[in-house]
This record gives sequence, C-alpha cells and structure tokens, in this order.
Amino acid sequence: MVRNIKLYLSFFGASIKKMMEYRVDCLVGMISQIAFQIIELIFIWIIFQNTDNIAGWTFEHLLLLYGVMMLAISVTDLLFDSTYDIGKRLIRKGKFDTILLRPVHPLISVLGESETSTALGYIVLSIVLIVSMLIKLQISITFSLIIKIIYFGILGGFIIGGIQTIFSITGFWTYKSNEVVWSVFQLHKLAEYPIEIYNKFIRIIITFILPFAFASYYPTLDYLIGDQTSLIFIVPLIVVVIWIIAIILWNWALKKYRSTGN
Amino acid sequence: MALIEVKNLVKKYKISEKEHGILGYVKHLFCPKYKEQTAVNNISFNIEEGELVGYIGENGAGKSTTIKMLTGLLTPTSGEILVNGIIPNEKRIQNNKQIGAVFGQKTQLWWDLPVIESFRLIKKMYEIPDGEYRKNLKKFTEILDLEDLLEKQVKNLSLGQKMRCEIAATFLHNPKVVYLDEPTIGLDILVKENIRKFIKDINKEKNTTVILTTHDLKDIEEVCDRIILIDKGTIIFDGEKERFKNQYGKHIIAEFIVQNKNSNITVETNEEEFEVLEENEKNIKIKFNHDKLTVMDIVKSISNYCEILDMHIQEEGLEEILKEIYRGEVIND
Repeated sequence: MVRNIKLYLSFFGASIKKMMEYRVDCLVGMISQIAFQIIELIFIWIIFQNTDNIAGWTFEHLLLLYGVMMLAISVTDLLFDSTYDIGKRLIRKGKFDTILLRPVHPLISVLGESETSTALGYIVLSIVLIVSMLIKLQISITFSLIIKIIYFGILGGFIIGGIQTIFSITGFWTYKSNEVVWSVFQLHKLAEYPIEIYNKFIRIIITFILPFAFASYYPTLDYLIGDQTSLIFIVPLIVVVIWIIAIILWNWALKKYRSTGN
Repeated sequence: MALIEVKNLVKKYKISEKEHGILGYVKHLFCPKYKEQTAVNNISFNIEEGELVGYIGENGAGKSTTIKMLTGLLTPTSGEILVNGIIPNEKRIQNNKQIGAVFGQKTQLWWDLPVIESFRLIKKMYEIPDGEYRKNLKKFTEILDLEDLLEKQVKNLSLGQKMRCEIAATFLHNPKVVYLDEPTIGLDILVKENIRKFIKDINKEKNTTVILTTHDLKDIEEVCDRIILIDKGTIIFDGEKERFKNQYGKHIIAEFIVQNKNSNITVETNEEEFEVLEENEKNIKIKFNHDKLTVMDIVKSISNYCEILDMHIQEEGLEEILKEIYRGEVIND
C-alpha cells in the first residue's frame, strides 16, 4: 500500500512536470474553462431575473452551491482526469500493454497519468465564487470553516473521481468512445442545484446511488445552516465504499481484458 | 527445472463476424455472431536460463500471441506457462518484476519527459538499488551511446535513438527474462548492430535469457543460438541454429563468371537437385542440392558449355531457407 502510494506520487509528479512543459496549453485550458463556467453562471442569473428563489434558495445560495461543486470538480480534474477516456487514450493505442507490464497495479499507473489543463481554472473560479458568496451572505469565514471547505472539497473530488473510475472500465470494451463515462460525469450537474427541486427518484439517485450530492449539496447545507456534524464522518465513509467498489470492478475488468486481448 | 516451461499452450480468439453494409452492422449489434480462430495451437517448449532464442514465423503465425501470453498480458485458453516458477497471468506483478519487454513501436518511456526522468521512474518502480542503478546506467550509456540523449525529451528523439533508450530501460532492473518483439523494426544498420551487440554483451555478463521475435534474420544470425519456428500456430522447428541450417539448408548457390559460352545450359538432372537461377553471356547462377551433387560435379558440367573465369560459392542463408519453408517447398521431416 505504502509502495503503491509512493509510486502514485512519483507518477503524478511526472505528470505535473509534463504539464509544465505545456504552459501554453495550461493557460488556454484555464481561460477557456473560466469562460465556459461564466456562461453557465449567466444562465443561473437569467433564471433569477424571473424568480426570487428556487425552493427557498436565493441567487447567492445557489452560487455558493455551484462554487462548492466546482471545487470538488477541480480536485477530480486534477487527480482523476486520466480515467475519463482510457479506451481511446490508452487501450486502443496499445499503451495499456506497457502499463500492464509494470510491477505495479495498473490503476496506480493510470491515475498517475493526469493530463488536465483545466483544473487550475476551476480552482481559481471556485475559490472566487465561494469566498465572495460567503461574504455576501454575511457568513463569517472562520478557520474551522476554511478547513471544512478544503476537507469536503477534497473528499468531494474523491467521490466524483471514484464514480468516474468505476465507469471508466467501460473503456475496456468501447475503445472509441467514452460516452458512458461522459454521461455519468454529467449527472454531477444535478447536484449543482438544491435537491429539494427534484422528485424522490432523482434525490435517491444523487444521494445513494451516484452520491454526487455529498460533494456539493450536503456540505453547502452545513456551511449555510451548520448542523450537519455527522457529515464529517459520512463523507469519508462514502469515499471508502466507492473506491473499494472501483478497485474490485477494475480487477474484474482487467481479468476480462486479459482473456480477450485486443 | 527450465527457466521457462510451456506445455500444451493454446490460444483461441473469438472473432466477430460482421456482414457487409450498414444493415449487417446493425444486425451484428443485436445478434452478434462469433467464430473461433486458433492463434496458438498446442505448443510446448522449455527455455533454460541464459539462452538466446529467436522466435520466428510469418506475420500472423502466432508469435506475438505467444509473447503476450508469456508476459502475462494475455490469458491462455488452455495449457501451462511457468516463468521461473511463476504463472505469469496469475501473479502478474511478481512476474513483471523479473521480466523486461519491448513491443515494437510501443514505448514504455514517458513521452513528454527527458529520458533520464523515465529511467528514474523505472528505478523507483522496480526498486533498483542505487549502486546497481548507477552501474547499469553508466554501462548502458557507454554501449548504447546514450550520453547526449538522456536529457532530451522522448518525443524529440529519432526512432533509432528512442529504441536505444527503450532497450536500456528494459534491462535497467536486471531482468531474468527479456522479451523483445521486433526490436529492430525500421532501424538503420548501425543502430541494429549496436542493439545486437548490447543484447549479446548483457547476456554474457548477466546470463539474461532473451526471447527475440524479428523479421530481420540478421538479428537471429548474430544474436541467437536457438531457433523456434512457428507456423500457423504450431511449432515446426525447435533447436540449435546450426541444426536448423543443416536440416533445411541443403542447397548451395554457386555463381560463375564465364566467357566464350557456346550454348545455353540444359538441365540434365532432376530439377530439385539442380536449378539455373540466372544465366547470361557472362554470369551463371546455379542452386543445387548438396546431398546429391558436389561442387566438382557442377564445375564439370558447366565447363562443357563455357570457360570458367571465376566462381563464388555460398551456403543458403536463413532468409532463403525461411522463404522456402514459407512457400511450402520444404517439408519438415
């Protein structure tokens, strides 16, 4: 385990060095990501031109929720970006074979190959959103709140990253597309809004089945109302469960992959 | 116990059968039909530690499939593989520690990083002790002439430079077995020679077992002691290189430079024993079966037609022998 973590950090360090080699790509990625997110924010603003609140949530509340989700996404993007399209990027090109020949679990190698150029944009924008909305909502930014925001931000990233990793195994069969991973990933957008607006079915899905709501909605509730202490224990538990499932499914997929070849 | 033991190894692939046209594809989507294809059909062999084995055969003969199974990338349909006592596809990580592999054009190096960074990552992955790493790096840099390449990014290297680095990376952790699948493909002669020398040197020094597949038979001539020839999924020859030549290479090619030729050569003997490959006013090239005829026989019969100025005699090389085997001209006995 310790060896695997050490190796992961080495691989990840190599990825960071690689990103440094592509400074222009990073800059362009960052700017385009910020532009894209601002357009989404404009849509939210337009909605609030016609209404005061959504299920009791004001514009500021919603932007805070949006920022919290974006912080989690930035962590996902930074750490787990490489699981997004393993079929196209690794398996179809045969690069996966060289990964399988390394004396380390392939998932460690894959996760260590982050190729993000957008994470930085997400981080900057999410911090701006969260801080400005907290000020606007007159919530005092205490040390414990900062720690909580970082804590839930990172764990939220691990939740979304874990879900993405689980569905990334479809890449072993669909070399040319990553539609499944993409569709599942897009469901995180549901958790950018208060779950009160949804029916029971969707609430159950984003709370229990694909628990995106624990990356955004529940932590935000805690920042706003502050009586969700149990969340500190529930969220890491969810992370552990998701990642155990992810590792089991990956091992199963690897076994299948090796019996068919490509 | 041999280092590598392969017993009754079989690999069958499921190939999807698609009908032509869009309709056929749609049909396949809903009720896929598969047919089985046997890539490797019941092969067995043992390889001892320190052997240099050339694993040869035509495209699609089953070479790469075998190598993939030996490395644990592919699970056999049936049969057994033991590499140093380990079943490769079951104890994958344990097996990976003791082997090294090069697969043609696929690189194990980090594309965007300087070569030395890849080497450092490999050192960490295989937990190579500092002293050993430094010693190997120094030696490999010398033999493969890597000095100027180490600080360059892999993506900026030429094919030959990349392959030299690739080979160095493969041997860095002192693997017991190295699988080289087409390591010299597309390289120029100097790089090829460089790589062959490196393989031989390391084999001599560290007793590394090397299994090499290639289409360049000079690789085999210069590096390997033993040949395993696979055709349509079955082994048709397994033994020493010299025995291979003796068994199949019964022909000698004789080239004559002549003058005052009076008529064309008419073939008197059985065509299998004597064949005119090339004939004009000044040159005659003849292939003959050495079991049946001697060089003197040939010289005598040629001198009936002309005056011989010079002659050149050559045994059949691996390449000619293989061509004949692939064409089905030689039947295994």
